[in-house]
Amino acid sequence: MDGAALEPQVQEVGRELADALPRGKRGPLRVMDDRAMEFASADAELRSALFRFVDVVPACRGVDDLARHLTGFLDDVEDPPPPIDAAMRMGSTRAGRAALGAAATVGVKRMAHRFIVGESTRDARRVLRGLWGEGVASSVDLLGEATVTAAEADRYAARCSAALDDLRDVYDGLPAIALLERDGGGPTPRVNLSVKTSALTPLLRPDAPDLGRRDAAERLRPLLRQARDAGAHLHVDMESLDSREAVTDLVLSVLAEDEFSGGPSAGVVLQAYLRDAPVLAGRILEFCAAHQRTSPLTVRLVKGAYWDHEIIEARQHGWTAPVFEVKADSDRMFETLTRQLLDARASGTAVRVAIASHNLRSVAHAIAANRALGGGPADVEIQVLRGLGDDLQHALSATGHRVRTYCPVGDLVAGMAYLVRRLLENTSNDSFLHDQVTGVPIEELLRAP
Amino acid sequence: MTPLPPFANEPLAELRRAPQRELLIDALAELDATLPLRVPVWIGMDRREGDELVSTDPGTPSRQVAVAACATSAEVDAAVDVAARAFPDWSARPARERAAALLRAADVLRRERARLTALAVRECAKPWDQADADVCEAIDFLEYYARGAIELEDQAVGLLQLPGERNTMAYRPRGVCAVIAPWNFPLAIALGMSAAALATGNTVLLKPAEQSPGCALELVRALREGGVPAEAIALLPGAGETGAALARHPGVQTIAFTGSVPVGLEILAAAAAAPGLGAHHLPRVIAELGGKNCVIVDGDADLDDVVPGIIDSAFAYGGQKCSAASRVLVHEAVVDTLVERLAGAADVLVTAQADAFGTTVPPVIEESAQERVRHYAALAEQSGRVVSRTDAPLPEAGWFCAPVIATQLPGDSPLLFDEIFGPVLAVEPVASVDAACDRVDELRFALTGGLYSRSPRTVEHVIRRSPVGNLYVNRPITGAMVGRQPFGGNRISGTGTKAGGPGYLLQFVEPHVVTENTVRHGLVV
Repeated sequence: MDGAALEPQVQEVGRELADALPRGKRGPLRVMDDRAMEFASADAELRSALFRFVDVVPACRGVDDLARHLTGFLDDVEDPPPPIDAAMRMGSTRAGRAALGAAATVGVKRMAHRFIVGESTRDARRVLRGLWGEGVASSVDLLGEATVTAAEADRYAARCSAALDDLRDVYDGLPAIALLERDGGGPTPRVNLSVKTSALTPLLRPDAPDLGRRDAAERLRPLLRQARDAGAHLHVDMESLDSREAVTDLVLSVLAEDEFSGGPSAGVVLQAYLRDAPVLAGRILEFCAAHQRTSPLTVRLVKGAYWDHEIIEARQHGWTAPVFEVKADSDRMFETLTRQLLDARASGTAVRVAIASHNLRSVAHAIAANRALGGGPADVEIQVLRGLGDDLQHALSATGHRVRTYCPVGDLVAGMAYLVRRLLENTSNDSFLHDQVTGVPIEELLRAP
Repeated sequence: MTPLPPFANEPLAELRRAPQRELLIDALAELDATLPLRVPVWIGMDRREGDELVSTDPGTPSRQVAVAACATSAEVDAAVDVAARAFPDWSARPARERAAALLRAADVLRRERARLTALAVRECAKPWDQADADVCEAIDFLEYYARGAIELEDQAVGLLQLPGERNTMAYRPRGVCAVIAPWNFPLAIALGMSAAALATGNTVLLKPAEQSPGCALELVRALREGGVPAEAIALLPGAGETGAALARHPGVQTIAFTGSVPVGLEILAAAAAAPGLGAHHLPRVIAELGGKNCVIVDGDADLDDVVPGIIDSAFAYGGQKCSAASRVLVHEAVVDTLVERLAGAADVLVTAQADAFGTTVPPVIEESAQERVRHYAALAEQSGRVVSRTDAPLPEAGWFCAPVIATQLPGDSPLLFDEIFGPVLAVEPVASVDAACDRVDELRFALTGGLYSRSPRTVEHVIRRSPVGNLYVNRPITGAMVGRQPFGGNRISGTGTKAGGPGYLLQFVEPHVVTENTVRHGLVV
C-alpha cells in the first residue's frame, strides 16, 4: 500500500479523533497531577529529585524515613520553587517530617492509582467492567518485582493462572459488544492477559537465549492450556533487546506445538524503534503464514518502551544503537510496519493487527490504512495505556473504533518501576502527549513524520 | 603527524546477536585443532622449546592447551642482559614511535580477536563474555598507554619560572621491567603491565602465570609483530622460581606484579634485598594484590537491582577476580528477604563448561583451587549456615565448584577475612550502614567495595568513610573499564597504583629536572 496516497484519509480520521477528545472534563485531582508533571517537565533537577523519590517510596521505613529521603533528593535542586522550600523546612523537625512523609505517601499513591488499576485482579473488577461499559476492552498486566529465582517465576505463573480465573468472573455477565468480540479472523476473547517472559524465568541471558526460552516455556505451556480451555487471550510482552531472541523463539516455538494449534488466541509484540524491526516482522508473518492456527496470531505494534536503556547500554558497550535515535525515524517505521502488517492480513495471512500508540497521527494512519484495505472497524485494534491514553481511549470508543486499554495490576512496591517509567514518559519533552497537552496545533500533531 | 583520535574503549562483542556467537564457536573449533600450543622461552630471537610446563583446560584436564618451556635462572640472567642492552635504543625512540608499535599490536589483537577469546576460554576457563572482555581490555591498555606515553613526553610539567632561570622537568624510563602476571586476566593484565612499561620506554621480561603461558605467547607475538623489537620484550614462561629469580635480580629496575598477597610480599622482600651495597638503583615494585571485597546494602536499596548485581559480582567467572564480591553487609531490616533471593538466584546459576553460552560459574582454574574452595565451603557448613543448594549436580571431569552462599558465620570466621578467590559469598546482617563501614575498616584489604542505597546522604557518607580503591555505588563491583574506572587497591591490596588511569605510567618512569641559568653579564639572554 502506498503511504502517500493514504494521506488525505489519515488527516480526516485524525481530525475526527481530535474532535472527539474530551474537553474540560478533568477532575480537580487530575489537574493537580498534571500541574505537578508540568512542573517536573520544566525543571530537570526537580524532575530527577521527584522520580528518585517516587522510586524509593516503597522501600522507606515509615514516614520519617520517607521525609528524610525526600529532603535528601531535594537538596540537589538548586533554585527550589517555594513549595519545595517549604518542604525542606518541614524536613528539619520530627513533626514536620511526619507531616511531609504522610503527605508525600498520599501523593505518590494517588499518582500510582492513575496508572495502576488495582492491587489485585479482583480489585480491578470495577474499573475493568466500567471500561467494558464504555465499549473498551482490556489487557491486564500483572506488575511484579523482578524474577531472580525459580520460586519467584513459579509465583508469577501462579498469579497469572489465578488472574485468568478471576478475569473470567470479572467479564462474566457483561453485555455482548460485537466490535470487541469478533473481527474478520473470528471471535476474540474478552479475557486478555499480558505476560512477561522475564517474570516467567530467572534465566534470561542475552548470550544464551535458549536457556531462558526453555525455562520460560515450562511455565508458559500450562498458562496457554488454561487460556485455551477458558477461551482467553494470552499476550507475551516484548522487553529490551537483550531478551528479544529468547522471547520471540519462545512464543513462536511453543505456539507451533500441536497441542496449541486449536488455541488459545495469543500475541506477540513488534517494536518499531528497532532498526531491524522489519526482519522480525518478516519472521512473524512467515510464522503466521506457515502455521494455520485456529486463532490468528495478534501482533501488537508498539514504538518500544526501553529506548533509554537501549541507548545507554549501546553507548557503554561501544555498540551501534539498535534503536532509532531520532523520534521521527521510529514514527516512520511505525507507519511502514503498520502497512506491512495490514497488507499481510488483507492478502490472507492469519494475523491480527493491534496498534499500541498514543500518537494521534500513528493511530489515524492505522485506521485509515485498515479502511483503505477494506477492513472493518474491528480489524484494527488500537491499544492505549491506562492513565496515559485515557483521553484517546475515550475518543476512539466514542467514534466507533475498537480500543483496548492496557491495565497494570499490582501493589505499590511492584508497581513502582512501572510508575516511574510512565511518569518519565509523561514528562518527557519529546513525547506526543507533552505536545498535545502544551497545545501544539492539530496540523502539527497530524503531520506525516 | 596527525594526532591520534581520543581514546575509546574497544567495543565488546554483542553476544546477544546469534552471528557473533557463531563466530566464536567456529573460532574455538579452529583453535582446538591446533592445540597444544608450543610456548618457548623467547629471548630476543632465541627460542627454546620445552615441555616442563603444561597448561590444561580446567574443564577437561586431559586436554593440553599449551606445552611450555620453563625459564631457568640462567635464562633469566640472559634475558636481563639482552633487555638491558636493548634499553638504550628503545628508550631513546620518541614516544610516538613506541606508541605506534603498541597501536599496531592492538590491530593484531583485533585481527586475532576471536581466536584469542577462544584461547582464554580454553586455557583459563573464562566464559565467553568474560573472555571477550579480557581481549577488549588488553586492546584498551595498548591504546590507552600509547596515548598516555605521548602525553607524558609532550606535556610540559608546570614549574615556577623566575627571571634568570629556566626550569624543566621530564620523565625517562627506568630500565628493565619484570612483569609477573596472573592467570585470571591472562591477556589484559599481562599485556596492561607490559604495555605501560614499553610505552614509557622500558624493556620488558614477561613472566606469565604458569596456568596461562599460551595466552602470553600470543601477546608477545602481537607486540613483536606490531614493531616492538624482539630484544625489548622477552617471554619467560615458568613457575614461582622463575618469578623469584626475576624479583631478586639486581639488573631489574622495576617489577610489576599482580597476584596474591603472600607472593606479593615475597616479591617486595626479594626486591628490597636485591640491591647490594654497590647497587646502581633502587628497584620499584608495583603490586596489585587482591581483596576481600564487601558490598553494603542499606534498607532502602532496590533488591531487584541488588540481587543480580551481587550475584554477578560474586559468581561471574566463579569469583576468580580480585575485584569480586565476597561479603555482603546488609541492613537487618532486609536481610531475610535478601538472603532468600540471593540463595534462589545462586541456585539457578549455570555451573558448567566455560565454552557453553549461559555458563556463569565455570570450573575453577586448577585442582588446588577446587580443594581450597571446598575447604571453605566445608567450613561454612560446620560453622554457619549454607543457604545455597548443596546437592547441585556438577560435571564429572574438571575443577567444578558449586556456588556457595553462607550466613550466620562466627565473627572471626576465616570466610570473612581470607581471600578465597572462588564462588563463595558470606552474608552478614548489620544494624546500620555505619556498622557495615566499621567491618570494612577492620579488613586489611581495600580493593573494591559496593554500596546499594537510594539515599544521597548515605551515599555521600559511605564515600567519605570507605578506604577501598574502587567503590561502586548501585551497580556490580567488577568490570572496571580502562580510562573510566582506573583500577587498583589500597592498604594490603596494592601499592595504590591505578591501572588504566591517568597516573599509572608515572610508576614506570623517573623524573629529571633541569635548571638552566639564563643570566649572562647581569642580563637575561
